[in-house]
Amino acid sequence: MRVEYINPFVEASYNILKEVLNSEVVRGELYLKSSSTPVLGVAALVGLAGDVEGRVLFDMTKDTAIGIASIMNGEKLTVLDELGKATITELANLITAQAVTKLHDLGFKFDLTPPALFTGENMEISNSQVEALIVPMKLSCGKIEINVAIRERA
Amino acid sequence: MSNAAGSLVLDGADQKEGQEHNNQIDFKMVTFSLSGKDYGIDIMKIKEIAKFSSFTYVPNSAPYVRGVYNLRGDIISILDLRILFHLPVDKKAENEETQNGLILSLDENVIGVVVDSIDKVIGFSSAGIQPPHPIFGDINIKYISGVVENEGRLYIILNAERICAKDDSVRKAADSALPAAADTAAAAVSAETYQEPQSYGNSLAAEPERDFIRETLKTFKGFSITPVNEEWFTGRFAEWKEKKKQQGADLQLKSADDADEYLASYYSADTGRFWEDDTAARYTRALAAQSGKIIQAWSIGSGKGFEAYSFAAILARKYPGVMLKVWAHDNDLLAISTAPNLVFNDDELPEFLGPYIVMGKNGSSFQTEFKNKIFFEYHDALHPNSLPELDFIMARDVLPFFSQEDQARLFAEFHEKLKPTGLLFLGDNEKPLDSSRWAPVSGARAVYKKS
Repeated sequence: MRVEYINPFVEASYNILKEVLNSEVVRGELYLKSSSTPVLGVAALVGLAGDVEGRVLFDMTKDTAIGIASIMNGEKLTVLDELGKATITELANLITAQAVTKLHDLGFKFDLTPPALFTGENMEISNSQVEALIVPMKLSCGKIEINVAIRERA
Repeated sequence: MSNAAGSLVLDGADQKEGQEHNNQIDFKMVTFSLSGKDYGIDIMKIKEIAKFSSFTYVPNSAPYVRGVYNLRGDIISILDLRILFHLPVDKKAENEETQNGLILSLDENVIGVVVDSIDKVIGFSSAGIQPPHPIFGDINIKYISGVVENEGRLYIILNAERICAKDDSVRKAADSALPAAADTAAAAVSAETYQEPQSYGNSLAAEPERDFIRETLKTFKGFSITPVNEEWFTGRFAEWKEKKKQQGADLQLKSADDADEYLASYYSADTGRFWEDDTAARYTRALAAQSGKIIQAWSIGSGKGFEAYSFAAILARKYPGVMLKVWAHDNDLLAISTAPNLVFNDDELPEFLGPYIVMGKNGSSFQTEFKNKIFFEYHDALHPNSLPELDFIMARDVLPFFSQEDQARLFAEFHEKLKPTGLLFLGDNEKPLDSSRWAPVSGARAVYKKS
């Protein structure tokens, strides 16, 4: 993945998470992965198109998702209901949109697709044809792994 | 950006701290096996590695005493560790003429031990040795001085003194019962009936040293010696041995600094900085005329970008008017992140880079138009990539940082991605793994094409 793409995603994730959760966020070490990755339980996916093709996946456990949704809505949620799901979807949208805006300022043209949310047990995401950058974020209510896979259009 | 960059540096520091434990190799041992398990004895206690052929049986000795042996005129007693530790003895090995053994040199006596097979010499930090655990039931815990893990194998370190101390006390007891049994037996057999042990002497003693350097390079620098660079390693080992002999210093590499010194002559001309004009000229000569409209190149392990910029510059000069694309990859995030915005002082810049440089407030940098030809990517070369067919692959001095298995995968990838007329550039001391698929380009050093 081009190094110019990395920072916008890292910064956008950090800024948005810190802002919406209103608490400290710690970024873990970035790494690359090309094998299939288990999904923790809740995954929000945003597709990218334009100069490039790819996707951004926000992966977290159900408990973390409920925790985030509770903080963002200012009320204690106990299950991941429609409101909770909409909140996580919106979070994915916020982060990706800010990253794409930053990339636009650097001269790269990206479009994004509306986010989709997946929930379930024992899910796996396959990265077999493209290498993914993993940005782990530690939050007060758990961790989110941001999985960015982008390649130039041939 | 400052936020992210700051924490990147912190991550680096954390990693270093973690690695500090295996920074100093201060314990070496010879490893061997006894009924399938791995054991080791401190190399300082070992006089030599030998093959024993015939022992002189000593009547009335303990069962684990195999007999006495004439070691170039000295009579030493030989113990069988397998019997001492109540381990099964392979009958087949028993009947063979020669048996593997170690000759231990302790404070006062020299003693031989028979083992199943000698493995190799390994080195590690003594901080990694763990105390023996009562669970190692095969062997009485008093003979064990510790346990260490090395490359996924668990070695039990034996305490040579204790093993032989036991022998001493037993021998004394035996002596008192049967006065001077050993001496009598030894004296009774004339010198002609002894056979000299086939001592490995100098030739084989050198091999563990060589293997040991091989392993320390791997430990300290992640640097593999494979057929890619075996030829260089052989030459360098002889040179290094001679140098250390003259200095009267220890042959082995004790720290990362030693390993760097050892590898100093490995790296190709101008690695890790901008190429000098003569290096650039040398590579330019290897480039053939191209008729295509697009030239696509891949530079692996570009680090901070010096290699990729130099390479792109000679391609841009050689093929003016052609659309040039260079993919520059590295899996060191911190290094490759600085590459697109590389700023430098142009005091001693080589001439061939001149046309592509602009002066800025903080120093010189490359023209945007030139930079746009190079795609710096954070990428692990072992992962799938979306590269098109390539005209050139620049992989100088990166292959040793992959295992031989991974090198084979990379060469297969190179072969697949390279156009039939394409060129592969390796480091000055490197050659392809599979020589049947690659042919050297005449008149150029370490440049190959598909055969």
